[in-house]
Amino acid sequence: MATASYPPPPPYYRLYKDYLENPKSASEPPPAIEGTYVCFGANYTTDDVLPTLEEQGVRQLYSKGPNIDFKKELRSLNRELQLHILELADVLVERPSQYARRVEEISLIFKNLHHLLNSLRPHQARATLIHILELQIQRRKQAVEDIKRRREEAQKLHKESLGTLDGHY
Amino acid sequence: MSLLLLVEVTKMDIISQLQEQVNAIAADAFNTFGALQRDSPSVRLSPNYPEPPPANPTEDATSFAEQPKIMSAALVKAAKQFDALVAALPLSEGGEEAQLKRIAELQAENDAVGQELEKQLEAAEKELKLVQELFGQASDNCFNLKRPD
Repeated sequence: MATASYPPPPPYYRLYKDYLENPKSASEPPPAIEGTYVCFGANYTTDDVLPTLEEQGVRQLYSKGPNIDFKKELRSLNRELQLHILELADVLVERPSQYARRVEEISLIFKNLHHLLNSLRPHQARATLIHILELQIQRRKQAVEDIKRRREEAQKLHKESLGTLDGHY
Repeated sequence: MSLLLLVEVTKMDIISQLQEQVNAIAADAFNTFGALQRDSPSVRLSPNYPEPPPANPTEDATSFAEQPKIMSAALVKAAKQFDALVAALPLSEGGEEAQLKRIAELQAENDAVGQELEKQLEAAEKELKLVQELFGQASDNCFNLKRPD
């Protein structure tokens, strides 16, 4: 790991001295990294997946199961949040020393809300991909139609021109 | 999907809007409780203690009484906006498998249309070459003032 304050760039450029004459003289670039790697002293992973709430030590409030009804869960979490805020207001009036538990519950609801929203992102990514594919198919079909039309026009012109040329002989 | 496109032009995507709305609700709640705790008049703990000194006259009495109303109305409004945004989510029917299936279908269709496009392109280029040749010959003949034969 480089510890100099202004380290020089890596010396790999020397390997490519004769690249123009002989592209095979330089070594192949290293294969893509898999798993975890270290970059500037920090650990990163190539496996980008959203860690579940349990892995972060947070209790999951919405129902689990393979297919989550996001709209329903988001709405019920919102309602619970409002109720807890009301509860906190009550507690502050009646038993002010017990605020901590209420505040914890409110932050738990917020964590669940954000986790739900984050787990919507892969769905959004796939939906965007579907949309892009549909657009591309539409554009390609349009291009095929255009080319067909132009070819027909060109063939018509070609026949006509042959006809006029023949007419002159 | 069309809603997603519409929102893209003017604001950010719906999920980011939802995330911002959640944070806005949190900020509203935080500010509400903070302002109430900071500005509310002191509570009398026991009849033995004297009345607390009168409130600072610069603090407008009416505006303090209205503050909780205004702030709680803002909280409720933020929550309602969140519900509206949730209702606007374009969540299609079936979850991951349905989406993956649709992607596979679209890829197959895309490949088929792509091949058709390539075919048409090839044929069109061949015809273009033919026409260019003919044009070259005709212009050569014109140029050389050859009699048509």
